[in-house]
Amino acid sequence: MGRYILKRLLEGIITLWLITLAVFFVLRLGGGNPVEYMLPPEATQADVIALTKAYGFDKPLIHQYYVFNKKLLQGDLGTALAWDKRPTLELVWERVPATLQLTTASMVVAVIIGVTIGAISASRPDSMFDRVGKVAAIIGQSMPVFWVGLLLILIFSVYLNWLPSAGGIERLGWQGIIMPAASLGFFLIASHMRIVRSTMIEVLESDYIKLVRSKGLPSRMVIWKHAFKNASIPVFTLFFVNFAALVSGAVVTETIFAWPGIGRLLVDSLILRDYPTTQAVILFASAFIVFINILVDVMYAWLDPRIRVS
Amino acid sequence: MSNDAVIEPASQEAAADKNKILRMLDTLRNVFRGAPIFSLVFLTIALICALFAPLIAPYSPIETNPTNILKAPDLTNHLLGTDNQGRDILSRLIHGAQTSVMIGVLSVLLAATVGTVIGLVSGVFRGWVDRILMRFTDGFLALPYLMVALTAVSLLGSSVINVILVIGLLRWMGFARVLRGEVLKLVEMDFVRLAMAAGASKTRIMITHIFPNITNTLLVLATLELGLAVIVEASLSFLGLGVPRPMPSWGSMLKDSQLYIYLTWWFPVIPGIAITLLVMSANLTGDWLRDRLDPTRRQL
Repeated sequence: MGRYILKRLLEGIITLWLITLAVFFVLRLGGGNPVEYMLPPEATQADVIALTKAYGFDKPLIHQYYVFNKKLLQGDLGTALAWDKRPTLELVWERVPATLQLTTASMVVAVIIGVTIGAISASRPDSMFDRVGKVAAIIGQSMPVFWVGLLLILIFSVYLNWLPSAGGIERLGWQGIIMPAASLGFFLIASHMRIVRSTMIEVLESDYIKLVRSKGLPSRMVIWKHAFKNASIPVFTLFFVNFAALVSGAVVTETIFAWPGIGRLLVDSLILRDYPTTQAVILFASAFIVFINILVDVMYAWLDPRIRVS
Repeated sequence: MSNDAVIEPASQEAAADKNKILRMLDTLRNVFRGAPIFSLVFLTIALICALFAPLIAPYSPIETNPTNILKAPDLTNHLLGTDNQGRDILSRLIHGAQTSVMIGVLSVLLAATVGTVIGLVSGVFRGWVDRILMRFTDGFLALPYLMVALTAVSLLGSSVINVILVIGLLRWMGFARVLRGEVLKLVEMDFVRLAMAAGASKTRIMITHIFPNITNTLLVLATLELGLAVIVEASLSFLGLGVPRPMPSWGSMLKDSQLYIYLTWWFPVIPGIAITLLVMSANLTGDWLRDRLDPTRRQL
């Protein structure tokens, strides 16, 4: 088990290194001097040269890459161009809790609602409930996250005036998180519902369950105590795998609801052409996703010993 | 005179023709068995809009009309209302279909091509080639794709080609992984082993033996990815980093509508319905294809 963890960690580090390589080159994508993206159009040639020297863009690429890696290992992800020129790592770190609150809340909502509906649908296949549920799931998976957000604002802020539409937790209290979490979680509810439903139906038809039923156990116990536990396993991994995709989805949600997280930091930094900050956000988000992936793999290996050997 | 209810064919040839037609209809019915009719119809409508937008749209999608802004839908003039610059929403919707379909199809094509090649090479060559390619794939999978897409479009400049490139080059991994799995299974089969024993080169095996047998999975994946590509394009446009203005895109229409959400309901709602319907149709068609093209049947 320990060996497997070590192996996965090593693979994760290599993946992360590849990502830093990619991010390093993305900035030099346009072919031109990256500094030219960062300066306003009125900048003079002297400004360009000065900033180029300051960032070391005039040195050969290899040297730049060496400096980049050295700084990375020291935890220095550069300084922002806007935001009072603070270290980007600080900027990102400040906003991580907000994003985590959002993604966790969405996950919790999605799991509770999705799994419950999925389980009920599975216990009554082809009933009205099930059929409506299936259609709703398909529609739910087709709606773009930001549109769900807009619709929720339309219904709950504009027409019903129940909920506020912008800000973070500190400003709005717990009410502020309802709509953003619902938007982000909506798609996931549909996903979870479908997976739980199909897994549970499979399990409910298995011999194991037939045996339990023939022993005379009441239906409710059969469904919740036995079938459900077995069906939870794929849900569990879907749970964590989706967490990584949530980070991407958070970008749009945070923009609509003016949520002070790293997604919005990314969009703002792109508008301001503050690429050091952009780079920091992407590196951080990637590291987070790699970490979650390793966690999922390790958990899977712990649950299913056959994987460790393969 | 005969009182037959059925019209008898006049001659031998007519009888043969009638049989041929009946057989063709039968084959068609077989091919489209269990098909999601609404989805296919909607996809066709979207395709027609994409191809013939200027002919179908009642108004120009880019001409602004400051006297006519934010009018509610009414049946006589603007069927779906006007937007914040007085442009007819229906026309923008139709032209937007062109954007979504074009970008969706082309980016999926790109992703499928890259993914298929990598999947094939990985599965056939195996060994260190496979390991390196899979490490490479994992690296890409760990990227927060929307963030990277936004950054790339911001750096490269927003244009249709850049959006297609960016979406295509960030969605190939799904294809690569799944197809590699299929290829690995196929490579174990006797007909491939025989070919290898006969001295066929790896390339030849990839193209002649393996590829024709993964087309089913490829098609299913492509259909499902189409939905996702449409959503990514809409998201990019929504954040202002998709297709350049004033080209109509459903995503940028929703972006514009945000400011007027307290004034109009149709502006934020209608483009979203279009996106949802397109993605839903693509997903349902993909699901149907997956069931229809069961591996136990002949490949398409």
